[in-house]
Amino acid sequence: MKCLLCRQPLTQNWVLSQLVCGAPVRLPPICANCAAQFDPIDPATACPGCGRADSPTLCADCQRWQASGEPLLHHRAQFQYTPAMKALIYQFKGLGDYRLAGAFADLPRPGRAGDVLVPLPSEPGHWRERGFDPVLALFGHWGLTPLLAKADTAAPQASKTRAQRLATPQSFRVVRPLPRRRIILLDDVYTTGRTLYHAADALRAAGFAGEVVSFSLIR
Amino acid sequence: MDVAGMQLSDDEVAAAGMTQAPAAQVPALVQRHGRWWCERCGQTNLVRLPDGRWYCPHCVVLGRLTSTSQLYRFANAAATAGPLTWHGQLTPAQAQAAREVTAAALARRDHLVWAVTGAGKTELLFLAVAAVLARGERVAWASPRVDVVLELAPRLQAAFATTPVAVRYGGAPWPSVAAPLVVTTTHQLLRYYHAFGLIIVDEIDAFPYAAESGLAYAVQQAKLGAMIALTATPSATLRRAVSRQTIGVSRLTRRFHGHPLPVPQLQLVRAAQLPNRLAPRLLRQIARALVGAGRLLLFVPAVAWLSVVARQLQQLGHVATVHATDPARQAKVQALRRGAVDILVTTTILERGVTIPHCAVMVLGANSPLFSAAALIQMAGRAGRASTSPDDPVWFVTPHVTRNVLAARREIRALNRAVAP
Repeated sequence: MKCLLCRQPLTQNWVLSQLVCGAPVRLPPICANCAAQFDPIDPATACPGCGRADSPTLCADCQRWQASGEPLLHHRAQFQYTPAMKALIYQFKGLGDYRLAGAFADLPRPGRAGDVLVPLPSEPGHWRERGFDPVLALFGHWGLTPLLAKADTAAPQASKTRAQRLATPQSFRVVRPLPRRRIILLDDVYTTGRTLYHAADALRAAGFAGEVVSFSLIR
Repeated sequence: MDVAGMQLSDDEVAAAGMTQAPAAQVPALVQRHGRWWCERCGQTNLVRLPDGRWYCPHCVVLGRLTSTSQLYRFANAAATAGPLTWHGQLTPAQAQAAREVTAAALARRDHLVWAVTGAGKTELLFLAVAAVLARGERVAWASPRVDVVLELAPRLQAAFATTPVAVRYGGAPWPSVAAPLVVTTTHQLLRYYHAFGLIIVDEIDAFPYAAESGLAYAVQQAKLGAMIALTATPSATLRRAVSRQTIGVSRLTRRFHGHPLPVPQLQLVRAAQLPNRLAPRLLRQIARALVGAGRLLLFVPAVAWLSVVARQLQQLGHVATVHATDPARQAKVQALRRGAVDILVTTTILERGVTIPHCAVMVLGANSPLFSAAALIQMAGRAGRASTSPDDPVWFVTPHVTRNVLAARREIRALNRAVAP
């Protein structure tokens, strides 16, 4: 077995109890060195609104969302958007190296058992180009409920400035019957929050009255 | 823009706006015996996308090829090169090797230059390069790392002053003129097809060439003539090929200055001292080495050791650390050369291709499984590069002796005993 990212052989020091307890014995997808490059966000000190690292009180961005009348998403994210993570996301989404989604296959499922996980879909144009949906590739094994569809927009979010991103019009619509339980929206990267708030708005506009929160791999 | 002899994907061709240039067009991925195969890097084990297409994960960093992609193979152009403008002196051993290499290159035979670290490999290849260029063919000089490419390109340009030299690495601007001489990272050879009358592969046993079979395929695809491989530490496979005489070899067992290689001294320490509590004895030894040699390259097996070790050496002089993803790597090596830094603590990234005169070498944790015998020989080879201090000290600091440590010492001793051909 080789590390998915650096292609060096994977080594693991097993503890006897791991080998005899009956649970499946398998190697992690990436080596300890590569895993250490990514900075996890400590939920205890993250912004309660958007999951930004080291902001124990509501950050300025979230206060703005609150002032605009949006119910906060209480977003949680696993990792910070460090240069190492940026390089990985470039290879995964930019170059289209689908295999890299497996690097995060060991992440725990967010939320509680009854929550409905709703992935944010790709634009049809991006799907045709990449041949895969990054959010489904990352989180598909959790059992997702695809409620939303997205129309093509003029330019991808990644190519815009902050002000342009925030001014992006709504492009989501609900295509399936709504559940009654809490919904967790899933995305790969949270930057300004515009995309996730549009998705939550689309759900509420379609008549969803329950709680909507969100989760992403990276903040 | 010059695309002669290149093979580019339809995305690259569209981005560069040269859809009109004449090129042979082939599907990028093909099925052979029911398995998908990449035409660019020659690898199988491709990955299926959810939309049903396949893609090659092995060469994806050059831009993804899928089962709907095309490769455009542009015709090679005749090269008009100038003469060799280098008029340096070769030692008799170098001159002998240069004659053998030139003969092999002109006869399109693959050849290995097995030369100790600091033997002066680069200069002895100039004659072969000049001979192939004079035939009107192109020459590629491939190195494993961008650092080495950037260091080598000006030297080659100086040696072939009237010949256009192109420099190719990931992120480099596209070549604008047709260059007979191409200095490139090994990866970029994947973008060439039947283009070169001679390919020189430097450090053939090093990462990534040895680890990725796609690069060996790239060399085969890119060349029309001979491949000349260079190394101080050939792999077991290459040594077998030499002893079976399936590849020609030129050996250089002496450095250009004629002095023997510094033999590493073993320094046994308690395992608990590495890397957190270096013994005072070791620190005194480092201080003495700094007085003697002037500067020290300190190799460690893991990035996590860098700051721990550097902190303990603070009182001995100016300390800097360097690792593979350090953006200031080149600047720190320069600072060590200038004397602005006394001790450079580094991972194996500086094991090859750096020449620093008056430099002692210490390998901390030489027992690490990451240090092969070849890596240890290469690290020891950083010492004694100048003719004015050929005996800079080398230490292997380790809690116990390993086979690799012994093999490295044995080989260095054997090279010193061998008489130059």
